[in-house]
Amino acid sequence: MTELLIDKDNTFVKTFEKLLKNEGPFSNWELFKLTYQSELTRMVPSFQGLHALDYLPHMQFLPHQIKTATTAIEQMNGRVILADEVGLGKTIEAGLILKEYMIRNLVKKVLILVPASLVNQWVKELNEKFFIPAIAFRKNMHWEQYDIIVSSLDLAKRSPHQEMIQQIDYDFLLVDEAHKLKNHRTKNYSFIRSVHKKYCLLLTATPIQNNLLEIFNLVSILKPGHLGDYDSFMKRFGKDRQLLAKDQYLKKLVQQVMIRNTRKETSLNNINRQIHTIWLDFSKEQLACYQTIQQLKDLPTFSKITFLREFCSSREACYMSLKKLLSSVQNNEQIEKIITTIEQLPQHVKAEKVVELIKSLGNEKVIIFTEYRASQYFLQHFLHEHGISSVPFRGGFKASKKDWMRQIFENQAQVLIATEAGGEGINLQFCHHLVNYDLPWNPMKLEQRIGRIHRFGQQHPVHVYNFAIRHTIEEHMMKLLYEKINLFEKVIGELDDILADLNIQDFESEIKNIFAESSSEGEIKIKLNNLTAIINQEQIERNHKEAYHENY
Amino acid sequence: MKITDLHQFLVTFFQAHQCKLIVNQPGLLKIQLTKEMDKALMNRPFYWHYIERMGQEGEPMQLTLMTDTKQKHENAEWIHFGSPRLQQIMNYLKKTSKYTKLFQVVDTKVNTPLYPWLVINLKITYAGKQQKEEIFSIGLNLVNGMMVEDMMAKLDRLALQQSISDYCYPISPIIKLASGFQRIEKVFDQYIKQQDHHWAEETRITLE
Repeated sequence: MTELLIDKDNTFVKTFEKLLKNEGPFSNWELFKLTYQSELTRMVPSFQGLHALDYLPHMQFLPHQIKTATTAIEQMNGRVILADEVGLGKTIEAGLILKEYMIRNLVKKVLILVPASLVNQWVKELNEKFFIPAIAFRKNMHWEQYDIIVSSLDLAKRSPHQEMIQQIDYDFLLVDEAHKLKNHRTKNYSFIRSVHKKYCLLLTATPIQNNLLEIFNLVSILKPGHLGDYDSFMKRFGKDRQLLAKDQYLKKLVQQVMIRNTRKETSLNNINRQIHTIWLDFSKEQLACYQTIQQLKDLPTFSKITFLREFCSSREACYMSLKKLLSSVQNNEQIEKIITTIEQLPQHVKAEKVVELIKSLGNEKVIIFTEYRASQYFLQHFLHEHGISSVPFRGGFKASKKDWMRQIFENQAQVLIATEAGGEGINLQFCHHLVNYDLPWNPMKLEQRIGRIHRFGQQHPVHVYNFAIRHTIEEHMMKLLYEKINLFEKVIGELDDILADLNIQDFESEIKNIFAESSSEGEIKIKLNNLTAIINQEQIERNHKEAYHENY
Repeated sequence: MKITDLHQFLVTFFQAHQCKLIVNQPGLLKIQLTKEMDKALMNRPFYWHYIERMGQEGEPMQLTLMTDTKQKHENAEWIHFGSPRLQQIMNYLKKTSKYTKLFQVVDTKVNTPLYPWLVINLKITYAGKQQKEEIFSIGLNLVNGMMVEDMMAKLDRLALQQSISDYCYPISPIIKLASGFQRIEKVFDQYIKQQDHHWAEETRITLE
């Protein structure tokens, strides 16, 4: 029989006696009752279940996230490798687990180690989504000073921080991108092992990149000895990662400490995404104007490309930029001529088309994305003229204003006209129609746009309408790039991984260079073809890897 | 007695602290705080420190809270069971409204005795690898030693106030406060002992 240790509040009666002697101060009956009610309300009535859910009504958790958090707490005692595929919400799962432990008063002292570039994002998400008062570690701060600190692993492992951290007993340690710990000979690894911790979450999307030993190492952080000691493990399994698929015993052991959700198991892929490419033709005058811009001399190639793209979006966007250019270079007859031409051009083909499209959808909500502020202003005005209500949305809006605009869109306006993907956490799932009024040259941006409405929790098929004008730069992008890499069919998060693996950091400038440095249409074609080939090859290789992961 | 109507809970809280409700409509509350409430809730100790040093009155802030998100109002703070604001209010209650001494309101023209009761609201926390809590409300009659369960719910039906009603007089307790508390404590020691403690056993095994 386990000896029970009972801790009692011994000061209670003494304080009460003193108060009685002094005749107060006492609470009145109403406030006293409220106190009792609030304690009843926030009591944790059972060992099981996630009470955090009651505390986070603004969050919509997905079934696999709730299940993961429950399993991690109830069956794995909070020492877990969270190895979901990218985009399934590991951060959300980790936040939910931490919140539950905090509500149950099991965790107070927390250390969260993440890549330097993600520190602020973690702080923000924990505070805003989970009301967890985390702060980022700053110079001259002390590690004991705050209960919940987010820091980069690289900083924490350095002296003198390392030594200070090792002095502290942490209730909860989290390491994001934990595949950095797979090698037991590194400083990262020995540092994490040396931290005193009760609960420990290791987050990684790629748990088994090279060999079994890596798993052995990660598991050893959580449960030393769970897979035996190093020598006997090596003797039995060697370095062959295929063994994990074959050896049932090993598989079971690993499953006790690791949770991995895959996109296939979760339901996102089942929701239909329908892509409609809407091809439009410039009128004769418009095309002529486009070609004049194309043939402009003495302009930096990059700005010429920008003018062309703007012209495909709206007269206004191009007009504004040209005006601006004119104010910096004097006496440019060419430009002045184009400006006069634009002033006289008839209505842009896209504007008429978008009104037609919105009207054909009845009362359905529509999001229109454009790259250009001028197009946004123009569209708002143009839609208004056609009796369609709309609200603008920009990255520069404050969070409260974004939310306000979102509310108006949800409750009153039919159309939201946005110049950027709207940022994290803006939930637009009540909308099922999205218009790409012009195409960004960064496929990640395009993904983020679609991701606003095509995400977990979306119940309806999502329609994406891509506007593109034939015989222009837009046709190249559409046909040679986006359609070839099947961009529109890809799952959110997938492309991100592919580009990261290929080390392509700035896709947009990559494309701009292709257009700027090619001397002919043919050259552009070949170069874009090469780019798509690389991306597609990488994709095939990834699929092989995925297939392997699912087999173990 | 759990909180079911958060709006009402807040109204009671702020009114009991003498705050004026500027707006009080379903789902939305706008409150003019008092100095005490501003100090308790608005996290601006330096302001009050400065104001008091200067010998000025200071200007308590207003607080707009919405309990229903459909009541979207600019600058309104959404308050719900997990929001830091509600936790702050609950912590404040726990700190400031832990003890009370009350008399039953009796409308009478004849001499009426009031019996002394000790009421203890007590929380037990079972802390193992997981955690569970229980709350009890026990009343002890300090004259005859009778013990009653679920005392708060019973008291909720009575009218109580901080001063004694006319014509009423309190009977001196026979059981002293400290020994009354001990009696209640003993009951709980017994109760805890009788529980099934396999949760503790499980925790011990996990730790090993």
